Amino acid sequence: MQTFTIKPYAMPDSAPALREKVRALVAEHEHRFEPARRANCWVTPDPEFSCALGQAGLLGMGWSKEYGGHEMSALERYVVLEELLAAAAPVGAHWIADRQTAPLLLRYGTEEQRRRWVPGIAAGEVYACIGLSEPGAGSDLASVRSNARRDGDRWVLNGQKVWTTGAHISHIMIGLFRSEAGSERQAGLSQFLIPLDTPGVTVKPIIDLTGSHDFNEVWFDDVRLPADALVGTEGEGWKQATAELSLERSGPERYLTSQILLTEFVRRLEGGADAGQLRLVGRLVSELSALRQMSMAVAARLAGGEDPALEAVMVKDLGNSFEQAIPQAIAQAIELDLSADDALELLVAYSMQVAPSFSLRGGTREIVRGIVARGLGLR
Amino acid sequence: MTDMDTERQTMLADMAAGVFAGIGWQAEFDRDWPRMAELGFSGLLLSEDEGGFGGSWSDLLVVARLAGEHALALPVLESAVASRLVAGLEFEGVGTLAPSSDGELSGDTWSGTLSAVPWGRHAGFVIAGEEGGAVAIDTSDAQITERTGLSGEPRDTLALQNARAVRVDGGPLALGAAIRAMQIAGALGKALAISANYVSERQQFGRPLAKFQAVQQSLAQMAMESAAADCAAFELARSLDRDDASFETAAAKTRAGMAASTGAALAHQVHGAIGFTREYALHHLTRRMLAWRSEFGGEAYWSERLGRTIVAAGADRLWSDLVARTDP
Ligand SMILES: Cc1cc2nc3c(=O)[nH]c(=O)nc-3n(C[C@H](O)[C@H](O)[C@H](O)COP(=O)(O)OP(=O)(O)OC[C@H]3O[C@@H](n4cnc5c(N)ncnc54)[C@H](O)[C@@H]3O)c2cc1C
Repeated sequence: MQTFTIKPYAMPDSAPALREKVRALVAEHEHRFEPARRANCWVTPDPEFSCALGQAGLLGMGWSKEYGGHEMSALERYVVLEELLAAAAPVGAHWIADRQTAPLLLRYGTEEQRRRWVPGIAAGEVYACIGLSEPGAGSDLASVRSNARRDGDRWVLNGQKVWTTGAHISHIMIGLFRSEAGSERQAGLSQFLIPLDTPGVTVKPIIDLTGSHDFNEVWFDDVRLPADALVGTEGEGWKQATAELSLERSGPERYLTSQILLTEFVRRLEGGADAGQLRLVGRLVSELSALRQMSMAVAARLAGGEDPALEAVMVKDLGNSFEQAIPQAIAQAIELDLSADDALELLVAYSMQVAPSFSLRGGTREIVRGIVARGLGLR
Repeated sequence: MTDMDTERQTMLADMAAGVFAGIGWQAEFDRDWPRMAELGFSGLLLSEDEGGFGGSWSDLLVVARLAGEHALALPVLESAVASRLVAGLEFEGVGTLAPSSDGELSGDTWSGTLSAVPWGRHAGFVIAGEEGGAVAIDTSDAQITERTGLSGEPRDTLALQNARAVRVDGGPLALGAAIRAMQIAGALGKALAISANYVSERQQFGRPLAKFQAVQQSLAQMAMESAAADCAAFELARSLDRDDASFETAAAKTRAGMAASTGAALAHQVHGAIGFTREYALHHLTRRMLAWRSEFGGEAYWSERLGRTIVAAGADRLWSDLVARTDP
């Protein structure tokens, strides 16, 4: 039976200075941030802010200087991420590229691919999206049908991706395609790097229930790519994509998406709070603190070159449940007029609407708990 | 943590696991305590100069988790903490902690009542009172009303008249809460293991329960609660070793309490009726978790206290105060 392994960590000496740096940068740009959307900050794009982070050396923190990185430690990166999220900064433009696309290219990509794309990502200028889900392949990702076939020394892509966050502002997609005709399930899949301005690629908006345009449909109609559009090894797409998921699932964004809600709730209580409200604050902060310990234990193991996939999904599911419950818990503890324009009301109204997506994106609650159950030896 | 710490903890864990497993909930104080005394558990937190083991709170966590795991019905942890608080003072016998007291110190004597004292009937001295005003009280002449807690363990009432008392540093409520949070982490980990094992063996509809997705999801949820309680307890021990652990005590007792109620409920659900019997071992863990959850302040007490501190500091310090706890 595999359960959560605690890894002791020591926060880097540079942590306080890094925090100050992030807080100063946020303060400089804060006047532009859209109030309500701060409750879903890592999906909210603000290219100007992403470029500012890039200039400040706060992106690509762990990567080699050769590719525009800063050769800092995983925990230093963690400090920067959690500060950005706690401040509810709109980091959506570069988030996916910095979190998983560039690390994927650095691990599996060709030298050419790295030089072409990674420095721009570290600068906060190049954005990326994840092309996994399809209409017929959601939780059951292995039923991907979009295909890539060879034509001389080129690849030709056809098919459709859906729910692609940020495709409309992204420069590239890392997409999972069936590269071996007639292959089934996990076999015969490969990952491709697709510049989204390639002829034959069509991005169509999908408006979500809040009225925002965050995700999209992406169509591929005889999209012709050079041979080196393949990322990593042909036929190893499943393995590569699932390794990437550990990066996608373990970070502080799985429990800090709505931190600003908690902050604004406390601000509302500064003028007076009853016992029930104080208890709610205490309970939420106790949960937050435990999640942070869990997430940092994962970060420490990632830093040591391990792949704590099971711990990562535990943080994701527990974190999602936590942040999903916050708006309702606040609404039960305090009377709110959700049509009002005050910060707390705007944030609660908005986050109540987006909260359902927290336990869907990045793998649903049921799927993630299934992975935990496998670790427990039950499947 | 240095290699030496790790080595010492491995040694401690081996020793404690071996001894506790053989005694567990069937412990009888008169029969089993001498062995604990001989092994020196009460001196775990005393320096070697004071005749102790020279252990840290992180070492105590190792022992506390195992005591929780084996539902050890002996005041090993209470006495280790009490002995540390009276180090250098003259107190005899087994020490324990009073979660609540009603009485007064006058000069060097204390009169009043101590309630719900774990193993109070066997105690030579008890630490009582509030943080900042805690006292060690000689209870050898106490008038004892024997009571049993939800866990089935002694939780006695002690009445005292002019008993010898000395002021000590460290609040029994917070330290008691800390050891209970650690015990819950251990017990929940064990309840998870028992549950995982049970659902793999028990068959219904022609297959092991473990093959049913609904059952898998319950166990996954238990595993996450267990992980959260463990991480909270781990950080609490580290903070106790650093200096002030008031935040971590409140946070860990609250989080572990939540984990105890969710975890115990799920453990019983996946066990069906067998888990509801006196004979099956699960209840030794679940009843203790539920008792520990409310002893030395439950979630209502600690979450309110924590919430009050946070709201008093104000919204703008919520995050920065939290991260300052772990920054260098
Ligand atoms: C806001 C948002 C952003 C997203 N961004 C991206 C993106 O950028 N790129 C991308 O590729 N995808 C993205 N997704 C898609 C996401 O990964 C999928 O929504 C998710 O994997 C579930 O697939 P589905 O929506 O098709 O639901 P389905 O798979 O149809 O599932 C519907 C329900 O059935 C349950 N279910 C399905 N199978 C099982 C099973 N075997 N056992 C038990 N229950 C089951 C699910 O848990 C869920 O509750 C995004 C989704 C959201 C909501």
